[in-house]
Amino acid sequence: MAELPFPLPDLGEGLIEATVLEWLVAVGDTVERNQPLVEVETTKSAVELPSPQAGTVVRVHGEPGEVVKVGDPLIVFEVPDNTAGIVGTVPQDHAPKRRVRLSPVADDD
Amino acid sequence: MGRHRDHLVEGIDPHLFVEEHSPAEESTFRPVLLLHGFASSTKLNWHDSGWVRALTDAGRRVITVDLPGHGQSASPEERDAYAPSRIRADLLQVLQDSHVIPLDESQPASGVDIIGYSLGSRLAWEFGATQPDLVHRMVLGGPGSADPLADFDLAAAQQYLADGSVIHDPSTADLLRMARLVPSHDVFALLTMVEAIKGEPFSAAEAVPQMPLLLVAGEKDDRAATMPELAALSSHAETLWLPGRTHTNSVTSRAFKTAAIDFLNG
Repeated sequence: MAELPFPLPDLGEGLIEATVLEWLVAVGDTVERNQPLVEVETTKSAVELPSPQAGTVVRVHGEPGEVVKVGDPLIVFEVPDNTAGIVGTVPQDHAPKRRVRLSPVADDD
Repeated sequence: MGRHRDHLVEGIDPHLFVEEHSPAEESTFRPVLLLHGFASSTKLNWHDSGWVRALTDAGRRVITVDLPGHGQSASPEERDAYAPSRIRADLLQVLQDSHVIPLDESQPASGVDIIGYSLGSRLAWEFGATQPDLVHRMVLGGPGSADPLADFDLAAAQQYLADGSVIHDPSTADLLRMARLVPSHDVFALLTMVEAIKGEPFSAAEAVPQMPLLLVAGEKDDRAATMPELAALSSHAETLWLPGRTHTNSVTSRAFKTAAIDFLNG
């Protein structure tokens, strides 16, 4: 198993931090992707953040009332080794499945 | 998904942005109409806060509408487009377009439930009072018997926008701050709505909805301090206070969502 941390995401409109209102998951919980994780409040509004990942919650950062900066750790999941490619392990080498064209092409239609 | 209605109401197309969201699984529940607050939007009040997901997961079809001058709805020039009576007429058309049928005991999916927040609760109160054959139950968030928009100091706000003069009334200053928070909002459209509301201020006792009501507010929500007065007008009202929550951050509360869904199912 590997640990996969997620930071507080960019909440848009130049917001740099948010205050934790209430955690909707606890350490040890198994969460599905898109399951609500936490309520946070910015200077503009309150939002509920959905989970970007399925996994088991290992740690949460920020008690209710505490401020978390955008980009700072918010939650850490435990996930099977082969799914942790984004952070923590070396990605497996795959032949590219799609090619990306770097030069513009005239529209066909 | 989202689209502008092109039905004429009283000869005018309101250009309201309406969305319908299907339940996660087929169900026989009646739909829920969501009415957002002043200077908010369907996105801020209901999507970002997790309400649409919570309701569709609970088997509800959800109908959302951006109020005039808000979200993705049009910002008409004429003041009458923002009048509460006009908005109620538009909402009736929205529900008819969404195939909501009058309450019928033999059909569990008939009629509609409404969840409102702040100004949306005021609109729901009046809509429910005038549409008893359509509205089954209502949850009113951040409600009060006062009308902060009717009491808004329009002259002070306009002076502030012109030359930065200090606004002395704290409620007016706070409402204008909210109105200017969302870059996509047209502040002048919102001030036109304030003018229209001054012409039709909230008078809760004038028409009281007769269906069961759940009134919900944060314990630190100053705007909802008069919630008990609203509850006292109805003989079918329950109240729920959310510990530690304000007018802004009650919206996301899980306790609020759970209580609302349970109440509407009851």
